[in-house]
Amino acid sequence: MDVVISGNLIDLCVVAMLLLSMLAMTTTRIAQLLNAFAVQSLFLAFLAFVVADSTGRSELYVLGAITLAVKVAGIPWAMKNTAVRLHAGREVDSTMGIPGSLLISAALIIVAYLVTEPLMATVDTITRNCLAMSMSVILIGLFMMVTRRKAMTEAVGLLMMENGLFLGIMSISYGMPLVVEIGIFFDVLMVAVIIGIFALRISRAFDTIDTSVLRRLKE
Amino acid sequence: MTLGVELLIIIPVAAALLSLAMPSGKTAAVVSVACSAAVILVSLPICIKALGGEATEYGLWYVDRLSAVFILVIGVVGLMSAMYSYGYLSRDVEEKEISSKDERQYHMMFNLFVAAMLSVCIVSSMGILWITIEITTLVSAFLVGFYRRNSALEATWKYLMICSVGITLGLVGITLMYASSSHVLGDDPGALNWPVLYEAAAGLDPTLIKMAFVFVIIGFGTKMGLVPMHTWLPDAHSQSPTPVSAMLSAALLNCALYAILRFQMIADVAVPGFASMLMIGFGMLSLAAAAAFILISKDIKRMLAYSSIEHMGIIAIGFGIGTPLAVFGALFHIIAHSMTKPLVFFSAGNVIQGYGTRDMDEVRGLRKTMPFTAFMLGAGTLAIVGLPPFSVFVGEITILSGAVSAGMYHVAALTVVFIVLVFAGFTRNIFKMMPGDVATGAKVPRGLSRSLPMALLLVITLLLGLFMPEGVSNALWSIADWFSGAV
Repeated sequence: MDVVISGNLIDLCVVAMLLLSMLAMTTTRIAQLLNAFAVQSLFLAFLAFVVADSTGRSELYVLGAITLAVKVAGIPWAMKNTAVRLHAGREVDSTMGIPGSLLISAALIIVAYLVTEPLMATVDTITRNCLAMSMSVILIGLFMMVTRRKAMTEAVGLLMMENGLFLGIMSISYGMPLVVEIGIFFDVLMVAVIIGIFALRISRAFDTIDTSVLRRLKE
Repeated sequence: MTLGVELLIIIPVAAALLSLAMPSGKTAAVVSVACSAAVILVSLPICIKALGGEATEYGLWYVDRLSAVFILVIGVVGLMSAMYSYGYLSRDVEEKEISSKDERQYHMMFNLFVAAMLSVCIVSSMGILWITIEITTLVSAFLVGFYRRNSALEATWKYLMICSVGITLGLVGITLMYASSSHVLGDDPGALNWPVLYEAAAGLDPTLIKMAFVFVIIGFGTKMGLVPMHTWLPDAHSQSPTPVSAMLSAALLNCALYAILRFQMIADVAVPGFASMLMIGFGMLSLAAAAAFILISKDIKRMLAYSSIEHMGIIAIGFGIGTPLAVFGALFHIIAHSMTKPLVFFSAGNVIQGYGTRDMDEVRGLRKTMPFTAFMLGAGTLAIVGLPPFSVFVGEITILSGAVSAGMYHVAALTVVFIVLVFAGFTRNIFKMMPGDVATGAKVPRGLSRSLPMALLLVITLLLGLFMPEGVSNALWSIADWFSGAV
């Protein structure tokens, strides 16, 4: 593929991923949130294919394919099922309003740019511009985990953080050795499954998946 | 190539499956004990070879002197906890708190947990090391939430969430380290393997390494219990079954420490002094916060959890100082803490099951009600706060003299102040439970499966404090020289 075209495609994917993170901050329904996560993962998979094509690293195709299977299809599907069983379809409770969350997300993007600036100079991959974006996605995912109150949305925040991380891995090193990548992937899958199990247990025990009830253990 | 290192994973995993297939909970417990003993037997030749200076390296595996120390500690702590689990869980079954099926599931998870922790110490690639650390979180989450009480669920949720975020940040660090090596090692598929990275450490990009180590110490420090990322730790330690608390404290925290040490060794070559500063800073913060919380603790297991944070802080300071003497002290302190803390946890477990409460204000007359437990708890307390002749004292005094001889007087002085505070808090909280009349409602737990591991641990911690076998001391000195030679 032409370097310019692949460069443009990479930029497109990365910007789309960041915008989807922002979109996820504004959603008020779990189904929407999971869709945003699935589409974000779709762009991540596409990005892996583009980078694989333009750098000739065939193991990235494998990575993209696993992303498609696990993060675009598997996890969102399983979590939607869980959400239905928990009757958690409606509102996503946040401790902060939407405008406030968006403002803070914007601030986090600026922070990400400041932090990654010294790093950009030291890396010479075609994807190095993605570094700031990936840091933004990580920070926004973390912010989502901190402000949301439902077990399920906290989990989506964690998964989005991990999307940002994979973006980061790709942007500074075109991906780690394949064994490691696959291992990390199944680990993420396990995290999602186990978090799902405990979300179910919490909802049975407390009759809610609102994690603000989990504030009893203290000194 | 013979089957060697793999056995350390195969045995516990096989034992996990076997204990699920056992007809009763008690036989499953026996499987766990046998498995832990087998793990120690298998690891001995590998570890002795490694401690002699000859690293085992093939395939995915890499075992050197540093790994050997951690493998042996995990083996011994696993064996003691497996023994103690036998009596502890059968008591829970008798009281109808859990079913026999739960007990079998417990032993399955217990063995998987041992396998996960051992795998942390024997893999070569830093990426796979990350995966194994994450697996320890996932497996142990089931053990922390074993009682399915609301409070246990809360602790598990916090544990899963906080450690997953922490470990994600740790992966950022690993990625940055991988990137820092790209211009030296290029596309080498072994570029994440620790020996390869260590060899090439001098040529790694310093900016990236600095950033990487910050992420690593925050990420893995979460798991190790460094303040301010420690918030999951007191909850998880206090809510899990007591043998699991002992495992978390004496083995799991060490695994995270092991990961940090591997990175520190690389960072010390690439950017001398940078990692040390962070280790001392986080260590001191942990020590200070833990001392404060120990003073106000009411729940005995939360207090022991803060004590683990304290000792992790002391160990981090030791490795941070980085002179051979301090590193020797820190290595010794790892062993001392891991042999002493389970003793205190097990005694606390007896008290909790006997009195049915974790609140130290509600326990009175311990000495007359449970003389053996009272003796063990008293001895364990004196050992863990660092009184001579116990081994923790030797570890602390060596780290302190390391700090003084390195000219870091302020570090030494602050450490002493906090250790004294911990001493005050611990003795006040524990010894007020001792006097008084026999508690009539108490159901005194008995059994060899409880007393044997406690007695063994007491003997070990005492012997290590009184005289150190020359082999142990030589091995630790060789690691200390190697570790600090990089500084």
